[in-house]
Amino acid sequence: MAKSYLRFWGVRGSYAAPFPTHLKVGGNTSCVEVNVDDHVLICDAGTGIIPLGNRLAAEAKNKELLILLTHYHWDHICGLPFFVPAFIPDWHINFFGPGESIQEMKQKLDSQMQAPYFPVGTETWMAKINYVNPRETKLSHGPIEISYYSVHHPGVTYGYKIKAGSKTIIYVSDNECQFLDKSIKQKMTEFSEEEQIMFEDMNREEYEYELETIRAADILIHDAQYTPEDYETKRGWGHSCYVDVVNYAIDAGVKDLYLYHHDPYNDDNAIDKIYEKCLEILQERDTSLRCHIAREGLEIPLD
Amino acid sequence: MGDSKKTVVVVDDNATVRALFERSTEDLTLDLISFSSAEAAMEYLGENKPDLLFLDIIMPDKDGLTFLSELRKLPLHRDTAVIMITSKDYAQDRTVANELGALEFITKPMPMRAISDIITNHINNDNPYN
Repeated sequence: MAKSYLRFWGVRGSYAAPFPTHLKVGGNTSCVEVNVDDHVLICDAGTGIIPLGNRLAAEAKNKELLILLTHYHWDHICGLPFFVPAFIPDWHINFFGPGESIQEMKQKLDSQMQAPYFPVGTETWMAKINYVNPRETKLSHGPIEISYYSVHHPGVTYGYKIKAGSKTIIYVSDNECQFLDKSIKQKMTEFSEEEQIMFEDMNREEYEYELETIRAADILIHDAQYTPEDYETKRGWGHSCYVDVVNYAIDAGVKDLYLYHHDPYNDDNAIDKIYEKCLEILQERDTSLRCHIAREGLEIPLD
Repeated sequence: MGDSKKTVVVVDDNATVRALFERSTEDLTLDLISFSSAEAAMEYLGENKPDLLFLDIIMPDKDGLTFLSELRKLPLHRDTAVIMITSKDYAQDRTVANELGALEFITKPMPMRAISDIITNHINNDNPYN
């Protein structure tokens, strides 16, 4: 195992999909581990955090963690009630996520561990739990530096920019990219000529901002839940079509794109087909971008 | 002696949106003040209550719903008339905006005539939030 690495522990969105037809890609929901010299940063706490927690409890030398939550939709927090390190006294777990106050963040995590939905509450967590002030604009965990920004998804949802060693990793588990572009195109014929020019400028400015958030990332992990066919009926659900994501990553000069937050309906064969389509886009655009399917257990060295 | 001019504030990081508001209100008798970030707007709003406040949601420094929640904690802005104007069109955001007392939730792109009509309707009426 590399000294510093990124590992996918859960790559599904919406709900866990532990079906025999899904095992190559994996069925756990969102969870990514970034480990730099035994400093462990965890992105999201879907069901994927459960096996991660079991391994940490058995093997980890450094018992202080930082868990970044992109938002509180249950597929991103549902692993926490079963996260073993939280129940062990000599662990120290820091949480950061959207919110106005530490109390609000705590309340959001407490809520899923309350009767009748769960038999015990977070008062049974025996680890030292710390909620990082949500007003902090920059964070660090050991040598890892983190910043964040709002993305296009229901509620306040963050994308995280993580500097780990020499790599810049952007983690955007849930985002509907280029939403404004489609809204404008849908309504363009309703506007005057002057308005059309202004809205094209608005769109260009918005897209430029979106590009800057991921510009030249070494690793982009991005929501790619939908096919173009899905997206025709699911526009406005807060997730991206993989075609838009690949083009977005190319336009931003990203080096390696990991398609993430896979739709639980898509089995391994369907995701293979998505991958082939992505390779076609890469060829059409003659790009140096490398595109990958994020799958459980995939480990990327960061050294 | 007539009424003093109404003040409308727009907070949006997109320069074209701010220009759109300026263009949309050229023929209206009001003062339009725009800011590109929540932080910049807070310096003004800390001491001033506009007749109408438009807030974008996704902004680089702080999102508009978090900003609105903070504003509502200030006595000066408990009942400030607020309209969200955003590219986001999600029920969850509408619900939160509603709970924070936003009068309307408008999605971009918004034509100029619609912007001027909304402003005219709201600043010529009593604040329905009261």
